[in-house]
Amino acid sequence: MESIKKMQFDMLRKVILVICFISGASVFVLDEPLGFIYGLVFGSGISLLNFFELANTLNRAVLMRPDKAQSFTVIKYFIRYIVTAIVVYISIVAPYINVLGTILGLIIIKLIILVSNLLGDKNYFKKIFRRKEDESSGQ
Amino acid sequence: METLITGKALILACSAIGAGLAMIAGIGPGIGQGYAAGKGAEAVGRQPESQGDIVRTMLLGAAVAETTGIYGLVIALILLFANPLVGML
Repeated sequence: MESIKKMQFDMLRKVILVICFISGASVFVLDEPLGFIYGLVFGSGISLLNFFELANTLNRAVLMRPDKAQSFTVIKYFIRYIVTAIVVYISIVAPYINVLGTILGLIIIKLIILVSNLLGDKNYFKKIFRRKEDESSGQ
Repeated sequence: METLITGKALILACSAIGAGLAMIAGIGPGIGQGYAAGKGAEAVGRQPESQGDIVRTMLLGAAVAETTGIYGLVIALILLFANPLVGML
């Protein structure tokens, strides 16, 4: 359980760092950066809360019976999906929030996971052109 | 009696159909996550000592899969509430 807590804290730290970087860049690039920054903070905050809730759900689900874990996870997924829908709707309706910032904030967690866990691994790039058939035959 | 279909009405109707089709993308990650959680529960039952590793790997996969559903949701909501095609008429 400690490793999951550590990963959540690590994710929180990385998301805050990336948000600060993108917000700083948007001040120089965009004409009206405030709406974009509002959207970015709003979207990434909800995205992080969804991530923590997902961790909580999976921690509870693995201790259940498989069929019950399946239905429990699907129900929790749709609750999170509805929350995300409300967030996107609010950012579309509210004039002071940029919807592109919110969308970027919502998907930023995926980019961070991919970069830090898959693309950050040097062995991934070493093995990327190696065929599976060669590995199994011991060559 | 003859009724005319205007261009705006046609765009709005097609946008509503498109939004409905885009929402189908939200179902897949839910089913997939549920399936993964069921298999994770089986794995923890077999090897209770590696629960942390199983949940950690599943968490990363589920978080990546969940954003795929968000894409469809965003497309649907933009088609319904901020349709850019209506302004092109």
